Amino acid sequence: MALRNAVLRQLRVPVQTLGMNQSQIGFLGSIRSFSSNDDHLSREAVVDRVLDVVKSFPKVDPSKVTPEVHFQNDLGLDSLDTVEIVMAIEEEFKLEIPDKEADKIDSCTLAIEYVYNHPMSS
Amino acid sequence: MVSRSEVLSLCRAMLRAGRQYPHYNLREYTKRRTLDGFRMNNTDQSKVNEAYAEAKAQLVVLERSVKFHSLYPPKTKNIMEVKLQ
Repeated sequence: MALRNAVLRQLRVPVQTLGMNQSQIGFLGSIRSFSSNDDHLSREAVVDRVLDVVKSFPKVDPSKVTPEVHFQNDLGLDSLDTVEIVMAIEEEFKLEIPDKEADKIDSCTLAIEYVYNHPMSS
Repeated sequence: MVSRSEVLSLCRAMLRAGRQYPHYNLREYTKRRTLDGFRMNNTDQSKVNEAYAEAKAQLVVLERSVKFHSLYPPKTKNIMEVKLQ
């Protein structure tokens, strides 16, 4: 019996209390309670993930990537690279971007706007 | 004369078709090959129409090939698809 308890004590997962301290409330202010759109991505998450996708592109210099960077003017990519980046963003957020919209996405700002405003991003 | 947007649409359609393969190697190959192919034919402006027609035929082949390969998906997960821990 004692052995069983000893073993269980080792195996039992410690309970973690997720108390919200004052310092976190400012950060969590972007989450709206009672909102029907709770599972929508926050803007910072969208920005981070879009920038990660752009930075992991082999032709891109990661130090130049900012949320306002233009693919062709600032990063020196051509239109096929833009197509590739938009495809990678589609995969990252599990979206299907129609051709007309994808043609307009020329910079990180437009990409972030599109993903943020799309209801199906995840 | 094919327009720029048509070429980009075709490229996008091929990339989208290639994404549907269950096999990691086929997916990566089609992605790499379509982009390389489109880039190679970019430079020679006189051959654009021929290249466009060829690519359209290849797109049909690609769609059919995706359907065949989906009939026999790989049984084990490819090592490249396993997330690093």
